[in-house]
Amino acid sequence: MDIIRDYSLVLIFFILPIIFILQPLFLPYFEAPDDVADIPSLRRKKLLLYRQINELEMEFDIGNINEEDFQSGRNELKQEVSEIIALLMAK
Amino acid sequence: MNSNKKFKLMISGVIAVVIFWISWVSSNPADEKAMATFVSVDELIKDKTNRRTKLGGLVKDGSIVISETNYLDCTFILKEGETELGVKYDRTRPDLFKDGAEVIVTGHYLNGTFYADELQTKCASRYEGDLRDETSYNLNEIDT
Amino acid sequence: MTPIAGSVALNLAFGFSILTVITLIFYTQTKDQRLVLTGQRLALGVSFFVFLATFILSYQLLIGNFDVDYVARYTSIETPTIYKISALWAGQSGSLLFWLFILSIYTTIVILQNQRKHNRLMPWVIITLAIIQMFFLVLTNFVVNPFSPTEADFIVANGNGLNPLLQNITMAIHPPTLYLGYVGFSVPFGFAISALMNRDTSPLWIQSIRRWTLVAWLFLSMGIILGGWWAYQELGWGGYWAWDPVENASFMPWLTATAFIHSIIIQEKKDMLRVWNMVLIIITFTLCIFGTFLTRSGVMSSVHSFTASSLGPIFLTFVFFILVASFGLMYTRLNDLRSPRKMESFTSRESGFLFNNMVFVVLCFSVFWGTLFPVISEAVRGTKITVGPPFFNQINIPIGLILLALTGIGPLLAWRKTGRKSLIRNFTFPILTGLITMIILLILGYTGNVVISFSLCAFVTATVLTEFVRGIRARTNKFNESIFTALIRMVSKNRSRYGGYVVHLGIVFMFIGFTGHAFDKEKEFSLKVGEKNHVAGYEFELTQLSESERLNHYAWISDLRVTNSEGEFVTNLHPEKRIYFHNNPDINRRQPHSELDIYTTMNKDIYSIFSAVDNENGVAFIKIMVNPLVRWVWVGGYILVFGTVVAMWPRKDQQWI
Repeated sequence: MDIIRDYSLVLIFFILPIIFILQPLFLPYFEAPDDVADIPSLRRKKLLLYRQINELEMEFDIGNINEEDFQSGRNELKQEVSEIIALLMAK
Repeated sequence: MNSNKKFKLMISGVIAVVIFWISWVSSNPADEKAMATFVSVDELIKDKTNRRTKLGGLVKDGSIVISETNYLDCTFILKEGETELGVKYDRTRPDLFKDGAEVIVTGHYLNGTFYADELQTKCASRYEGDLRDETSYNLNEIDT
Repeated sequence: MTPIAGSVALNLAFGFSILTVITLIFYTQTKDQRLVLTGQRLALGVSFFVFLATFILSYQLLIGNFDVDYVARYTSIETPTIYKISALWAGQSGSLLFWLFILSIYTTIVILQNQRKHNRLMPWVIITLAIIQMFFLVLTNFVVNPFSPTEADFIVANGNGLNPLLQNITMAIHPPTLYLGYVGFSVPFGFAISALMNRDTSPLWIQSIRRWTLVAWLFLSMGIILGGWWAYQELGWGGYWAWDPVENASFMPWLTATAFIHSIIIQEKKDMLRVWNMVLIIITFTLCIFGTFLTRSGVMSSVHSFTASSLGPIFLTFVFFILVASFGLMYTRLNDLRSPRKMESFTSRESGFLFNNMVFVVLCFSVFWGTLFPVISEAVRGTKITVGPPFFNQINIPIGLILLALTGIGPLLAWRKTGRKSLIRNFTFPILTGLITMIILLILGYTGNVVISFSLCAFVTATVLTEFVRGIRARTNKFNESIFTALIRMVSKNRSRYGGYVVHLGIVFMFIGFTGHAFDKEKEFSLKVGEKNHVAGYEFELTQLSESERLNHYAWISDLRVTNSEGEFVTNLHPEKRIYFHNNPDINRRQPHSELDIYTTMNKDIYSIFSAVDNENGVAFIKIMVNPLVRWVWVGGYILVFGTVVAMWPRKDQQWI
């Protein structure tokens, strides 16, 4: 019994992890999806920009930012968002 | 002057003030208890300095005398190597203060006596000690 | 499970950590994506074996296998179960394993969370984390192995037992909380290193580590506060902070981390301070390692540290390695980090943040200076000088007060430049509040720092209120919402901002509590049954002195009746004098302990210690301290935790970015 127990322990705690680790090496070669332009990253960027626009508007409403900076800042952000939306549409 | 330069100037100003402040406090602390110099009992007896000092040593066996009138007052003899020095202490004594205890006292030296206002005991090595020294091991339990 | 299995697991974890680093570095050369998968899984393997080892050590502690040296040292048959588990982080080697355990939890979460995110960043993040793991694996494998057996030539029937001071529920929580904080900064550090390696300067990675930083910061704050709470409840010197080297060791990374949390806002919004942020996160992480070193190596004598060991040089080497490698890497990337924008005006939000950052770093430096002063003075002048709390207080109180003032000023400044009109509009109410408070206090006869501190507290509170009111007003004007709806929506749409203001309020509460320290009163006296003594307008009568033998200690219990100056009954206090291991035949092995009793209100605490007992004469030695406003510190702590949780609560539309 002891032998069975020992072998199964070795199997569970050692052999299985090794198989799990080596498995990807037997896959066919592939390259990483491009981090900058893949859809999830673009979506995240879009979300971030939306959030920044919202925050900017709030800062303006409260009076923490002057009209001129607000307009230019918002235009910049909107420009970036539209670029990202265009990229997303293209995919 | 452009703003970038102004900021650099400001930052260097802050740093200068801080360095001045820290070194000033380090050399003239306002509170006398801010610093204490660690010396050996030998050195203290030789120098007779009245600066605030810290001493380390052992409590001489049987030297602890507690005042009859005020239970907080006590005197004992501190031994470091062969040198002995009388210490007077009038605050709550730590739990581990007893004959042979390793103590650190902080206070002033005056006319052959050390007036301590802080007394720390070094932990008897109960929690980090050599297990072999433990007489507490209940050896009977192994036999049965 | 045998302890051998634990050792083997640690060996395997060490091997796997080396393989992880090699595989992933190989990937960065070949760009073969299969290697990333293998590397990730290897890293998971490291964590898996660390979990296994931790589990085995906990199990050994639980069953009390005294053949393991660590188990014999920190537990005994009598140790209650919960403290058998907490013994896992009570000793040196166990706590290093525990550090590693937490790091492995974090590593696992980071890997699983980012399987499809940050493809370019992740390999270097994992490499960095694996190198940190490797360091702790070297320690636990080769220097202080928690599984090493007791020496073979004798049998241990019962262990040493855990120090009674550590047998306290707070003490069971405090170290893990602190560690969760310390270790947590590894993740932002890993991302920072990876961003440098990849020359990635987009604010995206900052977004992704923000919540991690907040989590780590929250745990670190809680750990520090719990430590103070424990000291106050258990140690019996009536305070919660003593500028002990180890306390400082946790306070220093807290300071730089707080600076970092503030300055990443600037990088997110304005893309400025890139270099500065790198410096801050590198320093914060290094201070975390340095803190672990101070705690666990015994260089500094303090309540916390263990006996000196060979750990010191190894830790210092690692600290040196981190500093050289990180700053060296940063130096080669300085061109990428150059920010396109510059500061424009002193009266801008940006410069407010900059100054807040500087003051945090200055405070950190002064704490660092004081902590290492004995070492420095011994090296330079040859005399060993120890510094006490008055030294730290003198240096740090003014800096702390400046910081408190900035807490109030910062949020009122506008971005880029605050116009004169809005300066007047925003500052009128808070400054008036502060001034009125100051005048009232001066009339009441208070002086010095107390007046400054309380006035600044009023000023900052007014700022926070103003900020909420301005936000609500903007919403009610724009969307026609009711005040309540506006408040809820405003907070839930800007969690980090308003959560942050709540944290500021918590800090104000804490400062009020700190200031109360100026009015502390204490007195020591001896009492026989029936005798009385006075402290700070209260009368203390010893009505009874009883004895009791309990499970693992013997106790003398005093019964103190407290009445106020009008003779009205306030409370009964029961501080105890205890002897742990009282059945131990060796008197020197018995451990005396004073269990104190506190009567606490928002106004003041009455703190009683039964410091010694004279059996023959029936005399109890009592120390009484009356500490005003201490509870404000703890309440401030709760507010701080609440605010941080609000700030990091995930929004529905974007989980963990």
